Amino acid sequence: MKLAWQNIFHDRARFLATVLGVSFAVFLMVFQGSLLVGFLQAASRFINASDFDIWITARGVQAFEFGATLEAREREMAAGVPGVVETGRACMAFAVYRKPNGKQQVVALVGADSNLGKHFPVPDPAETTESRSPDSVVYDASDRDLIEVASLPAEVEINGHRANIEHEIEGFGGFLGVPSLFTSYRNAARYLGVGPEDGMYVLLRVGKEYSVSDVQRNLRQRLPEVDVLTREEFAHKSRMYWVIKTGAGSAILTAAVLGFLIGLVVVSQTIYANTMENIEEYATLKALGASRVFVARIVLIQSLICGAAGSILGLLAVVPAMHYARSLIPWIHTPWWLPLIMVVLSLLMCSLASIASVRSALTVDPGRVFRA
Amino acid sequence: MHDHFLAVEDAGISFGEGDARVRALRGVSATFERGTLSLVMGPSGSGKTTLLSLLGCLLSPDEGTVFVDGVAVNELSGGEKTVLRRKKISFVFQAFRLLHSLSAIDNVALGLEIRDGKRANQIVMARELLLQFGLGDKLNREPSGLSPGEKQRVAIARALAGNPPILLADEPTASLDAEAGRNICQILRTQVDQNGKTVVVVSHDPRWKEFADRTITLSHGQIKPQAQGQYA
Repeated sequence: MKLAWQNIFHDRARFLATVLGVSFAVFLMVFQGSLLVGFLQAASRFINASDFDIWITARGVQAFEFGATLEAREREMAAGVPGVVETGRACMAFAVYRKPNGKQQVVALVGADSNLGKHFPVPDPAETTESRSPDSVVYDASDRDLIEVASLPAEVEINGHRANIEHEIEGFGGFLGVPSLFTSYRNAARYLGVGPEDGMYVLLRVGKEYSVSDVQRNLRQRLPEVDVLTREEFAHKSRMYWVIKTGAGSAILTAAVLGFLIGLVVVSQTIYANTMENIEEYATLKALGASRVFVARIVLIQSLICGAAGSILGLLAVVPAMHYARSLIPWIHTPWWLPLIMVVLSLLMCSLASIASVRSALTVDPGRVFRA
Repeated sequence: MHDHFLAVEDAGISFGEGDARVRALRGVSATFERGTLSLVMGPSGSGKTTLLSLLGCLLSPDEGTVFVDGVAVNELSGGEKTVLRRKKISFVFQAFRLLHSLSAIDNVALGLEIRDGKRANQIVMARELLLQFGLGDKLNREPSGLSPGEKQRVAIARALAGNPPILLADEPTASLDAEAGRNICQILRTQVDQNGKTVVVVSHDPRWKEFADRTITLSHGQIKPQAQGQYA
């Protein structure tokens, strides 16, 4: 295996070019992947933040951001279905926000009952130990510049109603291009002009002794005029809507797929070219009696060293880039498995490309070894 | 009686298809006795290198038989040919074919590793071989730091690493000046005389005639009547 290391050490400029090629590919794949994963996650963030099992929406609602009003009786009927142990409500609509300095801004207003789960962004989640007014309004830290409040609490207006912004939360930066404000369902209904007993989304918790799918089937029979979806179904529907049916989502999906393919092609091409540089030497080894395994092992080790070095460099470049990107794109997200998968795929492509390139040397062409 | 240690019998081989088909060798029969140095001469395109490729198990004949160490190699699989080549045959090339990133001693040690990966003292043996060829002060030089004659001596040391009985050389002196060329001729002759190697040299270089036991001349893929060298 000394030959693999010596080839790398001897041709340092080529090694550097190969490593840079691989690192660029890994950087591209992880960055584009993070955009897509973050976008998908943001598209269903509110749905996943609740710990209720079933969502009831108006017929045909595609995503959380585009709900329609449900009558109070739908909630009452749902509550009576065997297996439903708790109900909750949520709503989301765009509203006009007047800043303390008098400027106006369109915001996404999200309202929810306090029992939707400790992760759902409401001013007074049921499990909190802090003293917060249920009718206060909170915003995400990433929207601070757009909200423009000098200090908290701050008095503002939402759709002409007086409101109090009291807290700042994290992790719910919007991807709609407008800031989000969060408040209680009762408050949001008032700001949006929805009847206090009506709902936009009715959420149901199913008792542990009941099957969610059985309860869902039962609900669909009782409430034929609405959509009854499990949390996962609604989250999936919302993600598919945003990523496939909207221009922005399609662009992100296309960029991620292209980034992935380009990354793999760059890795393959870089390693292929690197191996082909020494192809006559590998043919010589074969002519001298080296087994296929012997030659393939040298080529593979050389490629994997390049792939590993390139992957490490690419990941080192991704960390600060993602940190900076997060300040501009709050919803971008790199799950722990994404770099891992991209590195494994890159190393796999390194292996395949190197073996593909050395195949011709594994069958010795006398013309190649005897040529002067 | 021939023991078919290294031989071709009625061998023929063609390349290309249709109108472009060329018969590189036809009806070639030759036996290369153990412990001899045979010179194969002939004009370009006469089939010299093709014959060497058949003897080295790099090509299989379309017709006829090739024997190496008494084994008819035609029917062997690619893997079996590789094993036979590893144990019995080594090559010396006109362009040396040293691995550019390895030092002289590592190139020779690699030859040992290929032939006998388990051998523990590869570096020691490689050093001994290079010392035999007067390269004791060039052990750690990379090929780019060696003269053509030195490169060819390293290549011969690599070919002899692991002690294969057959050495096939393709124009081994073509890239060398007169003195270095003569030195290489002498080295290969010594391997025949002292170590009993069977050497086949393909060359245009007439200097080889005085070192060869016999000369085979190829023309248009066929053997011309045989001449005898001074060692015959």
